[in-house]
Amino acid sequence: MEFFPQLFVSGLLTGSVYALMALGIVVIYKASGVFNFAHGSIVAFTAYLIWFYVVDLHLNPLFTVILTLLAIAAVAFLIQRFILYPLTGQPVLAAIVATLALAEIVAGFVTLFWPGPARTYPAFLPTGTILLGTVVISVEEIVNLLVCALALVVFMFFFQRSKLGLTMRGTAEDHQLARSEGVRVNRIFVLAWFIAIVMAAIGGFLMAFMHGVNQEPLIALGMKSLAVVILGGMESILGAVIGGLVIGVLEALGAGYLDPILGGGTEEVFPFAILLIVLLIKPYGLFGYKRIERV
Amino acid sequence: MMKKPCGTFDETYAQDMSYIRTVFRGGLLVVLFVILLVVFPIFASDYMLGIMNLIGITIISMLGLNILTGYCGQISIGHVAFMAVGAYTTGILSSHLGWPFWATLPSAMLVSGIMGLIVGLPALRIKGFYIAISTLAFHYIMLWVILHGGDLTKGVWGLPCDPPELFGIVFDTEGRMYYLIMVLAVVATILAFNLVKTKFGRAFIAIRDNDIAAEFMGLNIFHIKALSFIICSMYAGGAGCLLAHYVGMLTVEQFPLIDSIWYLGFLIVGGAGSITGAILGAFAFRIIAQVVLFLSPFIGHLIPSVSVSSVAGFTQMLFGSVIILFLVLEPRGLNHRWQIVLSSFRLWPFPH
Repeated sequence: MEFFPQLFVSGLLTGSVYALMALGIVVIYKASGVFNFAHGSIVAFTAYLIWFYVVDLHLNPLFTVILTLLAIAAVAFLIQRFILYPLTGQPVLAAIVATLALAEIVAGFVTLFWPGPARTYPAFLPTGTILLGTVVISVEEIVNLLVCALALVVFMFFFQRSKLGLTMRGTAEDHQLARSEGVRVNRIFVLAWFIAIVMAAIGGFLMAFMHGVNQEPLIALGMKSLAVVILGGMESILGAVIGGLVIGVLEALGAGYLDPILGGGTEEVFPFAILLIVLLIKPYGLFGYKRIERV
Repeated sequence: MMKKPCGTFDETYAQDMSYIRTVFRGGLLVVLFVILLVVFPIFASDYMLGIMNLIGITIISMLGLNILTGYCGQISIGHVAFMAVGAYTTGILSSHLGWPFWATLPSAMLVSGIMGLIVGLPALRIKGFYIAISTLAFHYIMLWVILHGGDLTKGVWGLPCDPPELFGIVFDTEGRMYYLIMVLAVVATILAFNLVKTKFGRAFIAIRDNDIAAEFMGLNIFHIKALSFIICSMYAGGAGCLLAHYVGMLTVEQFPLIDSIWYLGFLIVGGAGSITGAILGAFAFRIIAQVVLFLSPFIGHLIPSVSVSSVAGFTQMLFGSVIILFLVLEPRGLNHRWQIVLSSFRLWPFPH
């Protein structure tokens, strides 16, 4: 049983990244009602892009951040203007297939320009471990957790206090009403995509920093965050955070206790098993709106 | 509902329901049938036959997805996982127990159908992308089960599967396999054509168009949705069974998630909600893949920095772009274009 606290803490640390990822999906869904299946590919894309700036172009951190943000803004604009805007008013199938196709375009782009084995970022954090009772935590993980917490606080502050954030929440409530108040709804959608991809970039960078820049695991990370969103409820920011932590812990515990019995790799599929159970029992998640469906 | 040439009037219900309404149309089908089953296999090379075999399997699978997504409006991103269920059922029955083809095909369809029912169960309470996500979860879980199936599925080593044998004939060459696959594809197409004309087919369309109104009309939504899931996965299971016998060696890598996405996307490219559309989509899918395969050396020459292995990325980008272009510019798919061509021939030279 001395095993348990270690699994719990490392699960929490992974879960904080899941929460960050899930927020990106929730922001887009709340703003425009599009469920973003391309999140995993975009996570991989941003991680590779940062690697490209840092390693190939030898840029310093400030320029890297500026250029990455510019690239993300461009991507967000392109996605909204040329893919989702023309699909306004189409059935839900169109938006789903569009984001799935987008996922493959982005993944194909990464394969085309950055093929081959996994890459690593240059190390700039001190390596080492801290012992908390019986729990071992590496310094990287602590930095990871702090960055996630900071991003969450900024995110919350933006949506609770800033005028732009409040405008976005208003737009999420009712598009037509927002229009009549002079809000440019399409710009709000672009902004939602921008924020979502920034969240993806932060989470992807943190994960890639610890485990290497590799396409498959990063895409899997984005896919798992779909499970997080479903568990937490599609519309809820709090739900995304709690769902991320819960899935992270459950996944770590599942991997720790079930792997010896079932023969490895359970953490790849555990979130999806949870997802199916949630869909059967509580389809709108822990904190989602319970829509009254007559059918 | 078929458009008919000027002067052809339906006087009985049988005429109204029939597919072959004019002599020309019947003659066209006979000519197509002869070309498909007699002329083509004589003149085509083994390579061409191989492509056609793959197209045939894709058509069977796509028809199933069309019933679920195109007619009933439920979105599945786990279609390839259902094919994997059928393929591995076939592989296990044929290589461990030595069952013949006439027994593996129905069992593969049965097992897939049961799986489809299980995955479709959440459909009672959820709709739209929730169902899409539950099929996605099914895909990951199914592939994990197959990979860790031990001796039963031989995970990473691959499960061998014998060529099918029927009435003493072993279908072990591309040419023989071609006849088997094409006959089954034609049967699957006829079944699908008839299915969408039955009361269940009309119920599927009613649910797709407006589920509240459909329930108001007295349909049991849950039964109909579950039925569409079962039929879809039975088609997928049959396609998987053929695939298992055709490739002869099953591995998990043959059933990637990306193929499910291509099936869904190219159903839209072909035209969701029409049988012709599903067939056109299957052709478009495999033919574009062949064109890219043919062009990839030239792409390597044109852009030397792109290595040969990364041409896969180019394929992904091209496929994705094709799907998005169709979604934006022609959401009704190739089938709609085809109907426009047909009607302009029928109306020429006068717009009646």
